Amino acid sequence: MATLVRGFRDQFDWALFVAVSAIAVIGVVNLYSATSAAGSGLQGLYIQQIYWLTLGAGVAVLVAAIDYRVYERTGWFAYGIGVVLLILVFLLGNTIRGSTRWINIGSFTLQPSELMKIFLIIALAKYLHNDPKTDGRTLKDLVVPGLILVVPMILILLQPDLGTAMICAFIFGTIMMLTKLKLRSLFTLAAAFVLSAPLTWTYLLRDYQRGRLTAFLNPEADLLDTGWHAHQSLVAIGSGGVFGKGYMQGTQNQYRFLPDQFSDFPFSVWSEEQGLLGALLILGLYFFIILWGLKIASQAKDRFGAVVAVGVSALIFWHTIINIGMVCGLLPVVGVTLPLFSYGGSSVLTIMIGVGLLMNVSIRRFSF
Amino acid sequence: MTLLSQRREVGEFKKRYKWMALVVLGVFSILAVRVIQLQTLDYDHYAAIAQENITKTIPLPATRGIVTDTAGRVIASNRPAYNVFITPQLVSEEDIERVAELMGLDPEEKAVLIQRVADVPRRRRSHQIAMFTEIERDQLAALETHGQELPGVDVVAVPVREYAYGNLGAHTIGYLNEVSAEDIEGHPGQGYRAGDRMGRNGVERAWESYLRGRDGYRRVLVDARGTVRDHTREERAREDRREAVPGRDVTLTVDMELMRTIDRAFRGHPSGAVVVVDVRTGRLRALYSKPSYDLNEMSGRLSVERYTEMRDNPFRPLIDKTLYESFFPGSTFKVITALAALEDGVFDPVTRVDCPGFFEIGNDRKRCTSAHGEVDMRRAIVASCNVYFWTMALEVGLERLNRFGRDLGFGERTGVGINSEASGFLPSREWYTNHFGRFRVGYTLDAAIGQGNTRSTLVQLAMAYAAIANGGTLFVPQLIERVGSPDGQAIEEFEPRVRRRISVGQEHLAYVVDGLYGVVNDPNGTAFDARIEDGVPVAGKTGTAQVQRSRPRAGLDPGRAWFFNRDHAWFAGFAPAGAPEVAIVVLVEHGGGGGRYAAPIAMQILQDYFGNRATAATRSGSSTALARGAR
Repeated sequence: MATLVRGFRDQFDWALFVAVSAIAVIGVVNLYSATSAAGSGLQGLYIQQIYWLTLGAGVAVLVAAIDYRVYERTGWFAYGIGVVLLILVFLLGNTIRGSTRWINIGSFTLQPSELMKIFLIIALAKYLHNDPKTDGRTLKDLVVPGLILVVPMILILLQPDLGTAMICAFIFGTIMMLTKLKLRSLFTLAAAFVLSAPLTWTYLLRDYQRGRLTAFLNPEADLLDTGWHAHQSLVAIGSGGVFGKGYMQGTQNQYRFLPDQFSDFPFSVWSEEQGLLGALLILGLYFFIILWGLKIASQAKDRFGAVVAVGVSALIFWHTIINIGMVCGLLPVVGVTLPLFSYGGSSVLTIMIGVGLLMNVSIRRFSF
Repeated sequence: MTLLSQRREVGEFKKRYKWMALVVLGVFSILAVRVIQLQTLDYDHYAAIAQENITKTIPLPATRGIVTDTAGRVIASNRPAYNVFITPQLVSEEDIERVAELMGLDPEEKAVLIQRVADVPRRRRSHQIAMFTEIERDQLAALETHGQELPGVDVVAVPVREYAYGNLGAHTIGYLNEVSAEDIEGHPGQGYRAGDRMGRNGVERAWESYLRGRDGYRRVLVDARGTVRDHTREERAREDRREAVPGRDVTLTVDMELMRTIDRAFRGHPSGAVVVVDVRTGRLRALYSKPSYDLNEMSGRLSVERYTEMRDNPFRPLIDKTLYESFFPGSTFKVITALAALEDGVFDPVTRVDCPGFFEIGNDRKRCTSAHGEVDMRRAIVASCNVYFWTMALEVGLERLNRFGRDLGFGERTGVGINSEASGFLPSREWYTNHFGRFRVGYTLDAAIGQGNTRSTLVQLAMAYAAIANGGTLFVPQLIERVGSPDGQAIEEFEPRVRRRISVGQEHLAYVVDGLYGVVNDPNGTAFDARIEDGVPVAGKTGTAQVQRSRPRAGLDPGRAWFFNRDHAWFAGFAPAGAPEVAIVVLVEHGGGGGRYAAPIAMQILQDYFGNRATAATRSGSSTALARGAR
């Protein structure tokens, strides 16, 4: 037992811990400012976030403590639970703004689609671990992992939650890129994607989503309606300048020009108040965590660990670049959160579990 | 699983990690470059938008200056009115229903309101749009009481111009209405904004720059919903604010009591004009033009129907008959002919001319008013004998007549400064040649008695008679006595301005003035019947100006055409005759004979005017005015 503790202490990944903690703390500080606008009715939100982070930290420790090979063994079970939860959403879920994404558990609401991302990573890792093929994968080899993705993805699209479904697909894609794909398979997939785009536009996207896309392509056309969010976000970031307007001094935030400033646009709030230096600090932290995740993956003892680490890194990577790309006007507005920076219980919990998994793989790089 | 195989497994991905790290680096570089671009290169652009986002300029309207008459009676002032503004973006259908209910609108008005709110274009929906102006007191009370429940509905107090005398002196005072896009363009740098009002006529227009003042503004911080934020002390200190500068008050030389007197004296006559001027200063005491219009209506919401009605009214209420329009002065012009003759020594006043009742020139026989027999100049003025003046005109000639007429201010603008004054007209020989092909001596005869093509405004005629009364000083007619600040301090006092001294001998003036006295006071004078026994002594001249036969006009009842073919009745004179204070010109359009119709009005006006003044003087313990008036 003593050796275990000592070993744990020696092998504990301090860099990961510090970087994640920094983002979480800055996130709460920023959330306090983002929700402080008088009359917004959001003032207590940062406390909630602290609760979630604390809970998330506890879960992360638990996740990290259990040898990840246990997850490898129970992978299908976890995946099954995730799918069942997604089905439950349709039976018990409550609808907010036209989407059914949440289940009430006591006074909490849980968003199963968030947790599904983790279950998806584990399931894919388990599949690849047991199928140690080293040649390039053909389309036929993609059928099973494809099914692993498609089942939850369809359920998520039905909610509808395009952002989360997209993230799942991107994580899948990243993991598949890690193992080998035949060039032909890659081209076929790309062609399929291009061909399905018009179908997606017509059948999958809702009016407001189409509006966001057109607003992104032509932002000046309608500043008061669809383009408003994107425009005000740019104004917030741009007007922050190099040194920012000062904490709690961001006019775009405090005067409520930023919509959803606590969930989708916290980076805008931060950049407005802390300026370029603050913005680059945050970018740097995410960059570090993702690269660190890849490093952990490269040092993993087995394929399961490597795939899990890459999957979690991909999760953080895609969330980060889509969210920041969106608030910077590089991507259309999609409701994708910024990990640990955005308010949201399920989101925080998911990322913290992911971090726990990273830590798990990192700690066990020398064991067994 | 063997250790070896595990190692091999990990090694198989090694290259991929490098590629992935490279991709991550690339993507993050793009994000970093973008953030740097936004926060450094584009900083100025976005900082300006952010500032503009939260600033709202609230205008602080200046109060328009007050217009008073010479005695300090308020003519034009401001009262608060309440307008209702609706911000379409902030109101629901229920809100509009509620507004309609609170304001007591009937279903039809409610439908109009709903339509108007719905019709506001999208880019203006976040703006306050004026929906009702000058709401009733009970509507105001209802809206104020329940205003809190309706955040998109604002009641705003705005000053409204109020004219205490309604239509009295309307042409002189002028009115306001809303500026057009052209007005705003035409007055760059003067800060006119849509919705501002501007003086449109008379003093309100000519003295706009004094009366208007300068609007101020307040820049406040607002949030995205347009709600004004509670300002911290620091913010208040920084607040950009410019106080409004109230407009200047303007005091006219006009006496509104006298205007009332004139209006009373004019009862029963549909159309005409009066000018009264102080002969010692050239200050205009009355500018009266009938019919008139109500300034409050004109300044408020004048309907198209009402405007059309006024425009087509044959009595021309929109025209200022004292200044904007010129008339044949008729026999009132004879004194100018007489003075021209005397001054150039071409005609001896004692020379007698026989008037058989007609005058023959060439094949033409011109009729006189009656057969006057042997008349000298005095008698000719008193009885208004045309034959005498025709005979004289042949000696004087058109050039001399015009020269003297011009000296007395005819044929050019007096410079009163309002209402695009007409210049009147003294036709010259060249003009006749150009116009009628050749000059005839008959034109001179017409000119001598103020007919033909000679035209004068009432103000010109009054200024000329004032000059005759005061011994030959032609004043610039003065309408503005002073300009003051709102606290009552004079900023500028205007002194009388002499236009020129008329080159005329005092004995000649005296001779003519004596004739004018006779017009009213000699039993055979043309205005004798109109004189008031034991009243203020008046001197003056009647006139009966022929009217150009009007062709049947559209909209004019043919049964009433006879009226519009009647002569214009004139009286021009001054009082008290011995020591003149005021000159008066009365024109009764289509009134008929001057002695019969215009003179009595003039007499009554002067009687009332001096009577009132005497009473006022007695009350104040001074009897000088009375003494002068009773001479």
